[in-house]
Amino acid sequence: MEYSIGNIAPIFLCPFFAFVINAFFGKKLPRQGDWLAVLAIFISFIFSLRIFLDFAGSTFATDYYIHKVFNWFDLSAGGQTFKVDMGIYIDNMGAIMLLMVTGVATLIHLFSTWYMHDDPRYGRFFVYVSLFTSAMLGLVLSDNLLSVFIFWELMGFCSYSLIGFYYEKEKAGDASLKAFMTTRVGDVFFLLGIVAIWQLVGSVNFVDIYAAIAEGKFVGQQVLGISLATFAGFCVFMGTIGKSAQFPLQVWLPDAMMGPTPCSALIHAATMVAAGVYLSLRTYPLMVAGELTQFIALIGAITAFGAATIALVQTDLKAVLAFSTISQLGYMVMGVGVGSYNAAFMHLITHAVFKACLFLSAGSIIHSVHEQEMPKLGGLRKKLPYTFIAMMCCTLAIAGVPFFAGFVSKDRILGDALFWGVFAGQSKIWAIVPILGFAGAFLTAFYMFRMMFLTFFGKPRDHHIYDHCHEEHISFNSNVPLLILTVFTLGFWYCGTLTGQSFGKVFGSKTEWFKILVEAPRVERFVGRTREPFSAVDTRVKAELPKAVYEHQTGYVGPAAGDEHGIHKAHLIGAIASIFIAFGGIFLAFLMYIKGSVKPLADTFSGWTTALKNRYYFDDFYVGVVIQKGMIPFNRFLAWFDMGVYDRFAIDGWAKVNRVAFRASRWFDDVVVDAIGVDGTGVAVNLFNLVLRIVQSGKIQFYFVVLILTLASYIWTINL
Amino acid sequence: MISLASYLVISMILFVVGLMVMIARKNIVAILLGIELVLNAAALNFVAYSKFVTNNLDGHIFALFIIVVAAAEAAVGLAIVIRFFQLKETIHIDEATQLRN
Repeated sequence: MEYSIGNIAPIFLCPFFAFVINAFFGKKLPRQGDWLAVLAIFISFIFSLRIFLDFAGSTFATDYYIHKVFNWFDLSAGGQTFKVDMGIYIDNMGAIMLLMVTGVATLIHLFSTWYMHDDPRYGRFFVYVSLFTSAMLGLVLSDNLLSVFIFWELMGFCSYSLIGFYYEKEKAGDASLKAFMTTRVGDVFFLLGIVAIWQLVGSVNFVDIYAAIAEGKFVGQQVLGISLATFAGFCVFMGTIGKSAQFPLQVWLPDAMMGPTPCSALIHAATMVAAGVYLSLRTYPLMVAGELTQFIALIGAITAFGAATIALVQTDLKAVLAFSTISQLGYMVMGVGVGSYNAAFMHLITHAVFKACLFLSAGSIIHSVHEQEMPKLGGLRKKLPYTFIAMMCCTLAIAGVPFFAGFVSKDRILGDALFWGVFAGQSKIWAIVPILGFAGAFLTAFYMFRMMFLTFFGKPRDHHIYDHCHEEHISFNSNVPLLILTVFTLGFWYCGTLTGQSFGKVFGSKTEWFKILVEAPRVERFVGRTREPFSAVDTRVKAELPKAVYEHQTGYVGPAAGDEHGIHKAHLIGAIASIFIAFGGIFLAFLMYIKGSVKPLADTFSGWTTALKNRYYFDDFYVGVVIQKGMIPFNRFLAWFDMGVYDRFAIDGWAKVNRVAFRASRWFDDVVVDAIGVDGTGVAVNLFNLVLRIVQSGKIQFYFVVLILTLASYIWTINL
Repeated sequence: MISLASYLVISMILFVVGLMVMIARKNIVAILLGIELVLNAAALNFVAYSKFVTNNLDGHIFALFIIVVAAAEAAVGLAIVIRFFQLKETIHIDEATQLRN
């Protein structure tokens, strides 16, 4: 296929124009313009699907990418170059990401038309959602960190407005502010990282950064006593920590459930949090160059385990899902850290699918029963059969049961982590990462099934709510989106085999497309690459490029490609452990919440439960210590400095100096300029006029006399 | 034979008479007449020098030009005098002290 700007730009522009039109004319359109938003994202989906099929359909080689650049502004002058380019960059990962974002977002849009239909601000919801999706698509299409940052902030704004969508509720307003401020901490670091990269590379383009790393420009560069690559990588990764709700900055995501449920689905799956992990995958070579991988793996492992433990005690349906999102994002980040690039991205995609479905299912439940506290639910399986099917499949997927997508991707991350932490010959202390990972996987299986059992099984605990719930019917915008997503929770879509291992193949051996298409950027390929102008049509012919070979790879492209034996061992142990752990967690949940033969955790570990219910006191810590003890006194000091020192001495003092100066200036003005200059000129002119008035009599004969006398004296002078 | 000096003497007399008329008389029409006398003195000089010194027709042609210019000037001058008389009911030169109104 030939790529021109005409068949790439609509992916971003369609939702964006839907946003613009709905924002200004939405109220005048029929149905408040929801059809426009749905249609726009669906068109984006069609374009993305076309690109995806082209990339995945063995047309191009695995290292093919589209890179189109236009000059945003050019301030070059006097031999110095200062050009800022913007552009589009799509590689295999971008193509898969585009398909996921548009596909999931289309279904979420569709679901929203049902979920939000009696909301007083129905139209406004679609305005925000369109902008949100278009910002995410813009981020995926971006070829440089600067435009990534622009869309990144745009998403921050959209999440702010969507989390605070029910702004009548005080909690929603607080939550939106919290989300915005917390991610902002990471964003500041991210911007700092961009500046650091810019001052070394002179460009923030991904391709230029890769080339700079390959050429060794980062080697030996220092900033503030540490390596520049470490500094820049850390700062960019802090952006990921903020956006993807990783360990120190995870506090905003659970509160983000205050928004409407479809927007939660969007934030947790397709857009907001995916952007953070996507960025860390895009800048992966920088992380490696900065030797940050161990730090990243540790952050991911802590997040994966910590969030899973908090999810154990949540009673709110959406809170469980929110913490499970944090936990799963922890797995992705851990995957980045342990070098499991491919599996981390795969988990990003599979998680997006099943988490979107889980949130939409939760939305379906909430909309049907108007209750989201799990202790008041129960036995909904009979009332909501389709939602039950969808949610069950997704829960199996997230719990890591074989044949489902979550098993494939999570198991690969865990296998790589196991190899990385235990077999790769590192210090034994890094075994903590796979241990936390496996423990988190056990807890995931447990708390997800706890949620399922409490919601759908057993006897209804609140008969009033149960009787109020309507029977579910198939409808294109209420439960069909869920069922479509459910289909894609099956594992073989992503790896071609039922288990993710080399046995149980479904489509034969040529379907490991994910593993072949996605690999960590090999930076040396990017040295000296030319880029195309924005308007150019891609003229490379299919036949000229080597085709991707779709065969099951025995060769490993993970942390250490050499040690195949160790890898296989680690993956085998990991897979077996994963299966046991998943079923163990499910069984424990079954014993506790169905049979009742094991007492729930709350009674056994009451002290710990309190800590968990307070989310490890992170919110209290941030509010009580960081803000109350740190920020507020600091701000008071700043205010004192501002008013007591700066205002008093700098502003007022300067004013006094100015007053003296102005007095001197006024004296000069009055005496020198006015009296001597202006009035003096007048006197001089008056004197001159006294003479001139005599001459200028107006008597023409006098003029004649003067004329004749002048002439005569002139002639007389000449004759002398 | 009439010499160059005779012509020049006549011319000088004409010039001085014209000049004195221009300066001394207060009647604007008289002043215009004085101007005519001065111009004719100049024309006489041209013709005289042309005849006695260069011996060609340049001076004659100049004289013709002077007559034409004098005629035009007299016409314009008289027109101005008429307008002036309409305004001021007089043709006394000392009344003409302003270029406007």
